[in-house]
Amino acid sequence: MTTRPGLSREWLRKNMTTVGPIVFVIAVEVVFQMINPFFLKYQGIISLIYSMSYFLVAACGLTFVIMTGSFDFSVPSLLKLSALLCVLYIEDLGLWVIPLALLVCVGFGFINGLFLAKFNVPSFMATLGVSIVVEGIARYLSKGFLQIMDDKAFRSLSTTFIAGLPSVFYWGMGIWLISIFLALRTPFGRRTYAVGGNLIGAALSDTNVARHRIYVFMLSGFLSGLAGVLYMAQMGGGSVEMGADMAIPLFASVVAGGTALTGGVGGPHRTLLGVIIITWIQAGMNMLAIGRDIQMLTFGLIAIGMSIATIDRKRKIIK
Amino acid sequence: MDDSLLAVKGVSKTFGGVVHALDDISLAARRNEIVGIVGENGAGKSTLMKILVGVYPPDKGELYHKGEKVPFPRDPKEAAKRGISIVYQEKGVIPWLKVYQFLFLGHEDKYVKFSKLQTDKMKKQAADILEELHVKCDAEVFMHELPLSTQKMVEIARAILSVRLESGEDGTTPIIILDEPTGPLNDEERRELFSDLLEMKKNASFFFISHIIPEVREFTDRVHVLRDGKLVANYDFSEEKIEEEDLFRAIVGRESSEYISKVEIKGLASKTVALTAKDLTKKGHYYDITFDLHEGECVGIFGPAGSGKSQIIRTIAGIMSFEKGELVVNGQKLKASELPYVRLKKGIGYFSGETGKELFLNWPILKNISFVNMQKILGKFMPVINFNAERKMAQRIVQLLRIRTPSVNTDCYSLSGGNKQKVSVGKWVERKPDILLLDDPTIGIDVGAREDIYEVLSEMKKSGICMILVSDDPKEYSILCDRIMFVMDGRIQKVLSPDEFRKVVGI
Amino acid sequence: MKRSTGNRLIPAVIVRTLKEQPVIIALIAVFVLFSILFPDRFLSFLNFKTILRQFITLTLFAIGPSIVVVTGSLDLSYVGIWMLGGILVWLCMPVFGLLSIFVILLLGVTTGFVIGVIQTKAKIPSFILTLSLLVTYWGLTALLSGGYPRPVRGYGFITTRLIPYIPTTLLWSIPIIAAAIFIMKCTKIGTYLYAIGSNEEGAQLAGINVDKYKILAFTLSGLFTGIGSMILFQHLGGSTPVELNLNTVVWPLVAIVLGGTPLMGGSGGPQRTILGAFTFCVFYRGVYISPLHPYSVQLLVGLLLIVSIIVSARGLKSVTIT
Repeated sequence: MTTRPGLSREWLRKNMTTVGPIVFVIAVEVVFQMINPFFLKYQGIISLIYSMSYFLVAACGLTFVIMTGSFDFSVPSLLKLSALLCVLYIEDLGLWVIPLALLVCVGFGFINGLFLAKFNVPSFMATLGVSIVVEGIARYLSKGFLQIMDDKAFRSLSTTFIAGLPSVFYWGMGIWLISIFLALRTPFGRRTYAVGGNLIGAALSDTNVARHRIYVFMLSGFLSGLAGVLYMAQMGGGSVEMGADMAIPLFASVVAGGTALTGGVGGPHRTLLGVIIITWIQAGMNMLAIGRDIQMLTFGLIAIGMSIATIDRKRKIIK
Repeated sequence: MDDSLLAVKGVSKTFGGVVHALDDISLAARRNEIVGIVGENGAGKSTLMKILVGVYPPDKGELYHKGEKVPFPRDPKEAAKRGISIVYQEKGVIPWLKVYQFLFLGHEDKYVKFSKLQTDKMKKQAADILEELHVKCDAEVFMHELPLSTQKMVEIARAILSVRLESGEDGTTPIIILDEPTGPLNDEERRELFSDLLEMKKNASFFFISHIIPEVREFTDRVHVLRDGKLVANYDFSEEKIEEEDLFRAIVGRESSEYISKVEIKGLASKTVALTAKDLTKKGHYYDITFDLHEGECVGIFGPAGSGKSQIIRTIAGIMSFEKGELVVNGQKLKASELPYVRLKKGIGYFSGETGKELFLNWPILKNISFVNMQKILGKFMPVINFNAERKMAQRIVQLLRIRTPSVNTDCYSLSGGNKQKVSVGKWVERKPDILLLDDPTIGIDVGAREDIYEVLSEMKKSGICMILVSDDPKEYSILCDRIMFVMDGRIQKVLSPDEFRKVVGI
Repeated sequence: MKRSTGNRLIPAVIVRTLKEQPVIIALIAVFVLFSILFPDRFLSFLNFKTILRQFITLTLFAIGPSIVVVTGSLDLSYVGIWMLGGILVWLCMPVFGLLSIFVILLLGVTTGFVIGVIQTKAKIPSFILTLSLLVTYWGLTALLSGGYPRPVRGYGFITTRLIPYIPTTLLWSIPIIAAAIFIMKCTKIGTYLYAIGSNEEGAQLAGINVDKYKILAFTLSGLFTGIGSMILFQHLGGSTPVELNLNTVVWPLVAIVLGGTPLMGGSGGPQRTILGAFTFCVFYRGVYISPLHPYSVQLLVGLLLIVSIIVSARGLKSVTIT
């Protein structure tokens, strides 16, 4: 009979990265619910959904990149660029602006991947460089002004209510489910895990490692672009300053879900939990009128803490 | 043994109380000589040397320095005080340091004045030492600017210098251990290194670890042969004339029959040619390799390590590129440099026994097996993995190969070495490539698992898959191969039948 | 020893220097280009003064991290140390008076040490660790300051002009730069850090305590950032911002990479970073006074970063599969 506690402890140790986030989510929920009983009432839920959905889309893209053991710093900038492209050119192009924005973001994703796969530039630096260029373009295009969007058709993309919930929720969930499907049930997903888990093993099988890395960065670019479109549709306006402090919360939500920086483990299915943790904390703190300062502090600490908790210390780090 | 500079007597070492890494070894080095220590991988050469420099303590044994009994050193610094220093096989060079910085690395404390390094003094001393040891290079260039052989020489100079600095007296003759120093060098660089080494003999004694037979025979004064942790032969080149083949037999031969395999299959080769290599050349590795591989045939590429056999098989796998010649598979000419995934599409699979190299250890068995067999488990209409088909495929392989595991969902981390290897083979059993390259397929696994793997491979052969084998174990060739190409110095010396082969290696 | 400089048109020393530090060519090219394009505005006293001012700022930020980059890691925490340090000075002012400026130094050293310990023990990629820490410090800054920049008076003496035409901060930064170069070039520590960046395993085999020296590298970086921030604190107006500006984080990185310290470590170092910082400032000012839209400046900076990274990563081996 002495084996049972040992077994459960063993099980707990093995599944810590799954159990941890769930416990954390519940704890966060309970705390905020106690402080403010409206936290999970209808109004609260709607505002949570608004802050969660586009974020989830972007986080799914980043998850794929981190799964291959790389990092994509350009997600927030691409999100911003795509949002600004939408608001700036909707009058000229109508809804065709959406494919344009997505195409531009996929293009930048391709460049990111190219730098890593062909020029061997560490992904962190390559994407940092690209994100500065993107930032520059966004600044140049928007001239730094606040841009307002009033196209009804475009805005309905995120704000139509279906079954009591805004459509951006279905977008987010849809993309999340597709990402899970992609990661777990397709050869593409298998190869993504393989590249992150054992680069040599992947190269010795029928995987074209260089090309696959480029694909993953393109996917990340695409999802960042889509997140930007959804964001613009739900907000109805924005300036070049938006999304400036998203990098760390995004990263924190991916690692908090249990996708390790070393790559090869985790996945988009886990990222939902991370996104819930981060956005709920954010929402809860906003509700308590706690400023962005403490939020940043918290996310920074979560990012460091979860990186340490999930990382596989036996393995070398590919930047 | 009075004239010996350094002698060990009766050294034994076991790991985990089971494996006898070293069993009662006694050997000695005299002043100004190069002592060769040869043996296959895992024969105990490295363990012995690590004991001498204080990385491991021995279980038993005595150490004599200039005839006096001394305790074994406990760390490299203490070993240097006794006059022993080591030059590692690789990774020892620090490319972005200048030569004089590298020479004194780790011994800077003696050159610090008011916390500033006395670089002028260091440079001058470095230049003096390089001149004394006949190393032809400038003390102020970066290490990476030097040719590889000179880099090695600087490393050796550094080892000698560290002995002098640590022991404090210039009179001690240093004993330098060279751990396979010629590994990354090509022929010309090798010659260069050896002519320099013969010069350096005036200042030091060397233990020269190698498994490249010609260089050992040519440049060492005496040689000790280790096999399975035992000292099996000693030759003194000044007293007797030793042929390469004698030495070779001493290194690979096994006295007792450890196991006799039940499976022996031969003579299935048809006349259809699956792969043709013509004048395949990569300078410094192999030259003019020409052979045909017939359907259902297994060709072994046999030779001592460093003969170029691994490079040949890796070239065919697409890990290395070739410079001259041509490689034709199923009538299709291959490009000189193609990545492994392209070669796999053309029907060439590569299976390495090095644990963890091609396995995804954090994946369950079924994913590992299905990874190269994706096409078979995708749905008919959409490229979606059919989990049911995947599991069935894995279960079939697990049964076929008798992989001992609770279920196909067990992570490969927790499997034993032999079972890991079986999973690796299993995926190729399912994939059925036209040509399967075996690079040391059974390294480091137990006899039972070996037999199972041989059985599976022979089944695959019967079904028409042809194979190329490279291994450290001569038995493996006699079990699996229909023809054995004997490779030395990167050239095919002769082609043997299995019977002839057994005679040559004496099994 | 072969020195065949004989009948060359250009002395070999110069050729070698240019080969080792191609950034000098870039500097000359940029300088000549802008001098020809905008002779009036570029070659003005005011412009040089601005370049010098920016150069000081950039160098003081970049000098510490460039030590870490030599070991093959990355330290992005500098801006965080500067921002949080400024607020801490304001907080400590009532208690310690003018001495409270040393709180920045203390913060720098502690931060560097902590980063070093976490990085070597937990093995997190250093860029993620320091980036997260940067954001944490930013949050802390905003929290402690209550959301407003808090100017502190009394440190005017740091920037009092001593010699006409030469900013005093430049005089301050000269010994700092000299100290950094001295440590990296003339001491045991420097040699070890280069060795670790060049071949970590080899350094370990040579008997160097790699972890200890990596921690030391981060601590040194924190120390230099701390000292630099003490000067910058007054140089940049006696207060620190409470908003994080990506440019302040990225520009020192550009200076380091542009100077020729490859991100994989092993070569380069502070002496190159100075050149890189100077080149960057000349370039930046040139673009800034050009008729180009001010927002396109950032675009060009990004391109510059990418190009210099690719140039410094050139010659690296691709993923080897053996």
